[in-house]
Amino acid sequence: MSLFGAISVSASGMEAQRIRAELITENLANADTTRTEGGGPYRRKDAVFSTAPAESSFAGTLVEFTSGGSQGVSVSSISVDQSDPERRYMPGHPDADADGYVAFPKINPSEEMVDLMSASRGFEANIAAISTVKDMIGRSLELFK
Amino acid sequence: MNVSLQGATSGLTTTAVAGSASPGSGFADAIGAAIGNVENAQSQAQSAASQLLLNGTGDVHTVALAAQSAELSLELFQQVRNKFVSAYQEIMKMPM
Amino acid sequence: MSMASGSIDLGSYLTYLTRRQEVVASNIANADTPGYKTRDVEMPGDFSSVFAQLTPIATETAGLATHNDGNNVNIDRESRLLAENDIRFNLATQLLKSKIKMLRSAIDEGRSS
Repeated sequence: MSLFGAISVSASGMEAQRIRAELITENLANADTTRTEGGGPYRRKDAVFSTAPAESSFAGTLVEFTSGGSQGVSVSSISVDQSDPERRYMPGHPDADADGYVAFPKINPSEEMVDLMSASRGFEANIAAISTVKDMIGRSLELFK
Repeated sequence: MNVSLQGATSGLTTTAVAGSASPGSGFADAIGAAIGNVENAQSQAQSAASQLLLNGTGDVHTVALAAQSAELSLELFQQVRNKFVSAYQEIMKMPM
Repeated sequence: MSMASGSIDLGSYLTYLTRRQEVVASNIANADTPGYKTRDVEMPGDFSSVFAQLTPIATETAGLATHNDGNNVNIDRESRLLAENDIRFNLATQLLKSKIKMLRSAIDEGRSS
């Protein structure tokens, strides 16, 4: 890797945390969505992170990655909660079933907020890394003078 | 990346010491070795720079230090050469 | 021209700091990746010898708490290292700059005669 590669790595971190934050805000916005296009209540989404090479250009990237060089991160998939939705007894509700139960998304707003704070912190940390690395590259360039 | 400037300067000083034995060829050899070192430094700096610019391999500080090494080697060589030339001219001016 | 200062080859030290910082960046990017283990670069035995390529074998750092998902990155540690490496890099480059300046003026000194 190189310091330039490190910037790519941090950028990949920012991207991943951003996607994660977007999914969390979608969860929060849909915490009470009982009816979706596909039928049924909204299901909670989560970003699945996995280590991935960050430098996209060179052919040598794969070799570097396997030898422990460039290790960025990417959202490899978005997992959708498949467990049974929460059922609440609300007979008058338009989406109530025959027994008077309405299926609600299994979303805990407090948990989502904590998650969001974690994503935000991760995002900021990657920004700090980029700034520091840029600083180091700048100092290296001063050695030319 | 590290050029042995020692090589260049020691070559010149040993010539001065062993000068009496074989003045002409000893000096030429020393200058030759010094030039070799300078060229070495230049080519190392060049290859480090092209590695970084074309392949993206290597670090900026390594290239910078190689470039400085090469430049300093050259400057030193030039100063030493100038000294020898002016010393020679001084000698030639002496009335015989 | 040897860029050593005393017994430390500053150029190699810069390379070590660079490799270390790259690994810190990887750790930060993967702070929430399940199963990811914090990596670090081994400090080479001595900086007095010149080594062209310092390839860090990023070792898995011991003594870090592991979360439920197998990740053991400590953001505080990584943030601290980020700052430390930067400061040390700064110090080393300043030392190198002044060394280069001294060499240059020593060489130029003999010029004017």
